[in-house]
Formats: sequence, structure tokens, C-alpha cells
Amino acid sequence: MTHQTFTGKPMHPAAKMFAEECKAGEMDRREFMTRATALGLTTAGAYGLLGMASPAQAADMAMDGGTLRMQCEVRAHKDPRTYDWTQMAAVTSGTLEYLVEYSSDGSFTPMLLSGWEVNDDASQYTLMVRQGITWNNGEDFTADDVARNIARWCDKGAEGNSMAGRMASLIDEASGQASEGAITVDGNNVILKLNSSDITIIPGMADYPAAIVHSSYDADGDISALVGTGPMKVETLEVGVKAVLTKTDHPWWGNANDAYAGGGNRLDRIEFIDYGTDPAAWVAAAEAEEVDCFWETVGDFVDVMDGLGWVKSEVATGATIVVRPNQLAEVDGKTPYADKRVRQAISMAVDNAVCLELGYASRGVPADNCHAGPVHPEYDASVGRLPYDPAKAMALLEEAGMADFEFEIFSIDDDWRKNTTDAVAAQMRDAGMKVKRTIIPGSTFWNDWTKYSFSSTNWNHRPLATQIWGLAYRSGEAWNEFGWANAEFDALLAEANAIADADARRKVAGKLQAIIVEEGVTVQPYWRSLYRHANEKVTGTDMHIAYLPQTYKWALKG
Amino acid sequence: MGLFILRRLGVMILTALCLTYIVFTLTNLYPNLEKLAKTQGNFRMSDEAVTSWLDKRGYLQSTPKKYGEWLGVLPSKQFIDDEGKGYGRCTALADDPTQAPRFCGVLQGYWGQSTVFKDAVSKIIGIRLGLTGWLMLTVMCVMVPGALIIGVLAGMREGSKLDRTLSTISITSTATPEYVSGVIFIAIFASSAVGLKWFKGTATSAMDDITFANFTLPVLTIALYGMGYIARMTRASMTEVMTAQYIRTARLKGVSFANIVLKHALRNALIAPFTVIMLQIPWLLNGVVIVETLFNYKGFGWTLVQAASNNDIELLLGVSVVSVIVVLTTQLISDIGYVYLNPRIRIS
Repeated sequence: MTHQTFTGKPMHPAAKMFAEECKAGEMDRREFMTRATALGLTTAGAYGLLGMASPAQAADMAMDGGTLRMQCEVRAHKDPRTYDWTQMAAVTSGTLEYLVEYSSDGSFTPMLLSGWEVNDDASQYTLMVRQGITWNNGEDFTADDVARNIARWCDKGAEGNSMAGRMASLIDEASGQASEGAITVDGNNVILKLNSSDITIIPGMADYPAAIVHSSYDADGDISALVGTGPMKVETLEVGVKAVLTKTDHPWWGNANDAYAGGGNRLDRIEFIDYGTDPAAWVAAAEAEEVDCFWETVGDFVDVMDGLGWVKSEVATGATIVVRPNQLAEVDGKTPYADKRVRQAISMAVDNAVCLELGYASRGVPADNCHAGPVHPEYDASVGRLPYDPAKAMALLEEAGMADFEFEIFSIDDDWRKNTTDAVAAQMRDAGMKVKRTIIPGSTFWNDWTKYSFSSTNWNHRPLATQIWGLAYRSGEAWNEFGWANAEFDALLAEANAIADADARRKVAGKLQAIIVEEGVTVQPYWRSLYRHANEKVTGTDMHIAYLPQTYKWALKG
Repeated sequence: MGLFILRRLGVMILTALCLTYIVFTLTNLYPNLEKLAKTQGNFRMSDEAVTSWLDKRGYLQSTPKKYGEWLGVLPSKQFIDDEGKGYGRCTALADDPTQAPRFCGVLQGYWGQSTVFKDAVSKIIGIRLGLTGWLMLTVMCVMVPGALIIGVLAGMREGSKLDRTLSTISITSTATPEYVSGVIFIAIFASSAVGLKWFKGTATSAMDDITFANFTLPVLTIALYGMGYIARMTRASMTEVMTAQYIRTARLKGVSFANIVLKHALRNALIAPFTVIMLQIPWLLNGVVIVETLFNYKGFGWTLVQAASNNDIELLLGVSVVSVIVVLTTQLISDIGYVYLNPRIRIS
């Protein structure tokens, strides 16, 4: 008999309530899986509550050994907690593993943990550390290691540490470190006592910068000597050229354990080969049979790759693009976007469906400029966006005395991000505004991405809308590229993060959406579906909803 | 001759100094340094943090001083913080920052560390130059014989049908830039669009293992562009020789046409193309930028683009020095070779 919870203890009372909502059609299945598993239910247990069987994993054709070559940007390694590219995580994910895994169906599976429990108001978590795992230097993996990593994530003083935003409820504001007594080790368990209720802790631990490192970890050290729990080692890493992962004789804990039917980490060698940012070059590589799999297929190239007979894997997500002004940015000594009317004018001049059609070939659904959508459990569909009204937009701009202002919109030099930004610029011009477009090459665009006065940025999917708001919209966050600070928003967000029940949370989320829309913080035109193509030889390389690498699932067909 | 070579070496060193100083000054402009600090440190650093980051690493000294450090004629500034961690160009050379050498410039054989690729500049340039070297060598092997044959055939009978046909071909090939011919080649010979798929449309695998399939298209793309130009030069030189008095004399004496071309005309006609061919080498070094990007062959041209777009100061300086050496060395060889080929200059 499969346990309903990881620990075999009674399930969280809210889980049953969620199941009722899901059966009644008030919540879709993905949302249900996300919430129920975050509360400590197993995937099988969660499906069981819905009266369904857990889908079988399709790993039957996989064979051991072989080399998989993936087209993928190869970036310099840095401290995992400061990762700002999922591709960086892909290179280390065979060595540095994760406590928890998020799957494309919205569920959370324990990895280096064997399970977790949450108290009723989501203010205390008990993390059970999986036993029998060793580091590749022979040391045992213990609860102390988990506690040390969580404390590392909480270090606000570390430059560029984005995990601090995900662990905000553990951090003492004054010291910028984990609060006294927040993280305690009790035998094989780690107990987290949060400063406030927080439902995003487990999802935060499943995100790509949350890789678990050894106590000897040094970001500047030799990457081929990286100590981790996984069986792979990074043999070589040449920035912009190639990274090679090879299997060591350190056994993978997942194969010794029943947790993974069919096993994993079968490949002997994984090569990540950098073909630059032009998808045409990737297609040439595919035709030359130099790669087996893409990292991601974008735009019109989805059809091109279908035409070549490669196998498509598609997943609908909360991944998106924001085309936003920065409210703090100075242009010619003024801060043009500090004026709310200017920001509102921008969003009213843009029809999001047009951006989707021109920028992403209609491969997605239009969004409402609030960075919360149907894939997020707390989304309030009744809020809506500022109405599309170019005439009124221009009137607002004139009222603000900015009719003659020349907007300069920056974007990266690629396919869909450039086209979407062009679509925004063209619609602003149609409304009568002066717009200049500046395109910056991929190698330099990210150097200063939060500082551009007006630019586009792609954002990955995250399980809960409150997570994204906490990372990018809360005042003073490292990734707050909008230069936006709003005390009311911050207070409401803290309130939303304490509500375990999504229906109750939706009321607050609706207010949050309304503030973002009303302030004209950003144009967030659409939600993307993500695609990845692979040839017939490989299996398990399905596109992930949040680009999580999960290299252990990759294999060649036998 | 010895004095001539010495003088040329002097010019080479002087040019390298001037060029690297210009590159150094441009990359050390404050906005560029600020960009560097933010990429290397943290993209949200405050202005004070940027200043302290730059100051610790010695970037805020005067440009001539920093240039002297890079050359290795001035001692490098060192900063050791409270935790005993050292900053400055020389500290990477020793485990203990207090033991680091005082001088660590080009003169001491240390080219610095690339900020983009996180590796030693000398190592990166060595690898990338080696890759481009293979590409250039193959291109020369295809381009030079091809161009000379076309040029000689076209020039031996000026105005004939053969001349007009070959001239049209060479003008067309030299008038088609690489980014056009490369794309056309990929479409025709490497993609499913036409379906021939004889070759590969990417040369990435050629970095490890050069094969006929993965190296043909990039080589052909560069070679065709240069071939037309050299062929035109050869043709012009050949037609000039063919109208010379001694050729007419030889014909009147009844020497066969084949003998005239091979024994009497060819040697004299090849003097001018020799200079052009030598001058093609530095052009190739930079001309490969487009082809290397198009075919994803990560050689010297690609490194130059990456270094320039990321303000990688030391890598850019290394690339400049190599370029200066290649340009001036090939000029030197072409001048010396010219002297040996042309008896009129040699004797006077």
C-alpha cells in the first residue's frame, strides 16, 4: 500500500479540502498537485485523493551507458545560490543535487529529503533527510549538511544570492542571516521555524539555485573536483564552447533506492555544446547530427524541427516576458517612468494578443500585465488588465507632459524576445508615441539587465504567483527590475504568504494583481508554451515546466 | 638585409606598443570599467561598491601606470584585505598573496587572466589561434593553387573566351561576401531544404576532429572570396608579361605556346601575386570572424568578438598583440620574398 504522505502520518487537513475543490472543478489538477504535495502528500497519495492512479513513468526503453549531446549555452560556473541561468544548473545538476524536485504536473517529490511535514498554519516545517546517501568524497550526507545549506541560502550579505528572496521567512532582517533558532537539527530531521507563515519554502527549495553543496565548496575552486552527492563529474567546462559531464564510480543513491522505478543517471557522458544564440545554427547542428537534443526550441523553429522529424515535447507554463520601464532609471537627468500616467499609457497602448501573435507565433495564451495567470493556484481571473485604448493612452501621455518624449526600448538580440519587444514598440508608435529600439547582443545584455530604463526580460515559470512577486516585485529585491517600491503591495504580499488556503489567498492575490495593473508596472503580454526537440535516439529529455535540468532522467533508447 | 630586418622588428614593436596603448586606454575608460565591475561582482552594486571593487584591484590608477604594470616595467599594485585575501594582477600567481611577485607583465611572460572565460589569456589565445591556424592553412591550400591556375589560364590569352569566362567567375566570387556565400552553401549542401546534405552546416565538431564533411563548407566560403581577388591580380600580371618584348621574340623564334607560358612567362608573372597572397594572411585572420560565427567554429575571430563585446581588457590586449605580429611578420616576409623574386631590386 502506498502511503498518502511521505512519513505515513495523517495528511494535512487542507489537502482534503483542495481535493474537494478540484473534483468540483474549482481548481485544475496541476494546481491541486502543487498544493497537495507541498503540504507533504506523496504524488501517488495526491492522485489517490482524486480517485485516480498515479501515471506510470515511461522509462522502460532506457538503456545504460552512452553519450548524449545537447545544444546548450555554456556559462561560467558560480556559486549555485547566485545562479541566474538554468543552464548553469544543468552543468552541475549531475553532481550537485536538490532536496526537492518540482515536476511538470505541478507536484513536489522529495529527492535528498525523504519527506517533510508542515504544521497547520505553515509556519513550521520538519524536513526528513534521506538516509544512506554519501558525498562523492565518501562522507555521509547528514541533516547537518541540509541545515548548513539552508543557512547559506539565508545569507543576505552574499552578493547576488537570490535564494535569500526565496527563504525570506527564515531571515532576520537586522542581521541579514537566518534568525536565531530558525534552523535546528533533530537527529535525522531539520526543523524550520519560520518568522511568519510561508507556503513557498518547499517550492523555493526546488528551484534551480537551490543545489546542495558540500561544506568544502569554493566557487573559485576547480570545478572538476566539485564535491556533491550525484554520480556525475564536470570533466571540462569551457565557457561559450562546451561542458562535458562524465560518470564516476560514485553510485547514485536513487538507483540503490526504490524511489525511482527504472532508475536514473544512466548516461556515461553528457556534452553541452554551445552554438551561440542563433537558432539557425542549432538547426544546422541538428542536421549535421552533432547534437541529439536542444535545450529549448523557440519561435518558428518549432515548425522547422517538426519538419526535420525530431520529436517535440511541449509543456504549457507560467513562463513569460515582461517589457517594463524602470521607475528609478534616469533618462537625460529625468526619471520619466516615475510618473504613473506614463506607465499606464504604455500598457494601454499595447494589445497583448498582438504581441503573442507577432512575438511568439501564438504559441501561448495572452496575459493581463500582472504576472499571475491560470497556472497559478491563487490567480484571480476577474481582475483583468487596463483596457487596451491607444487614444486614451496618448491623452494620458499628453496630460503628463510627455507627448514629445522619445522612449528607448532595449532588448536582447534573439528571436522571440526581440520580436515581442518590436511588437510593443510598433504598437506604441501606432498610438502616436516616439519610440527608439536598441538591440544589445546576448553576451552583454545581461550585464546590467535590471538597470535598463525600458527593456524586456524573460521570466521562468514558478509554481506560485506569490513566489514571483516576492522575487521581482517586492521593494528592494535583487531582481526587482521595475525599480518599483510600494508599501501596500509589500504588506499584502506578506499577508498572502501566510494563507495556506488558496481560495482565501485569492482574495488577497486579486488585490495584489490590481495594484500591479493599476500602477502600470509592466507590460506582461503572454504566457509561453515551452518546446524542446530531441532526435529518436534519446528518451527522458522532456521539456520541464520550469527549465529544471533533471539530467538524471536523460538516457538513450536501448 | 640584416639592418632592414632589424629596422622592421623595431617598427613592429613600436606599432604593437602604440596599438596596445590605444586599446588599453579605450578599455580602461571609466564606463567600461564600471561595466566590468558589475559583470564580475554584482549587477546591483552601488557606486561606492564599484569604486572600492575597482580600487582594490588597482583599476583606478592612472592609465600609463596600469599600462606599465601590464607591460611588466612597473611594479603591480597590491591590496591585501583583513582576511589575507589579495587583489591585483600578480596575486593569482602565488597561493600566498604576500609572496606574489612584484612585476608580472608581458615582459615576464604573464598575459593576465580573461574575465569572460575565467582562464589564462595565453592559454585561450594559444588554443583559439591553433584552431584558426588549421582553418587558414586549409584555406591557403585550396585558395592559392586555385587562384593561380585560374589567373594564369585567363591571362595567357587576353580577351579570349576562356579569359572572359574565368574573369566573370572570379569577379562574381570576389563580389559575394562570406555571409552571403556561406548561407547559400549551407542551404544547398547541408540542409534538408534542398536535400543534398553532402556536408555539415556547422564546423563545431571540427574543433576536435577535422573531417571532409565538417570542414569543406567553411573552407570553401573563405577560399572562394579570396580566390577571385588573387586570380584577378595574377591575370593582370600575366597579361602584362605576355605583351612584353621578350615573349614576342620567343614566339617569333618559334617556341611553342606551352613552353612560352610555362618557361618564360610564369615566373615573371608570379611576382606580383606573391605580395597579394602574403597580404591575404592578416586579412584571413580577421576575415574569419564572419565565417567562424556562421559555422560556430570557435577560433581567433570568435575570441576577438567575445573579448570586445565583454570588455575583457587583458584578452583584448593579447589579441591585439597577436594581430600586430601576424600583420607585420607577413609584410616582412612579403618584402624579403619580393627582393629574392625580383632580380631588378636584388641587384640594385
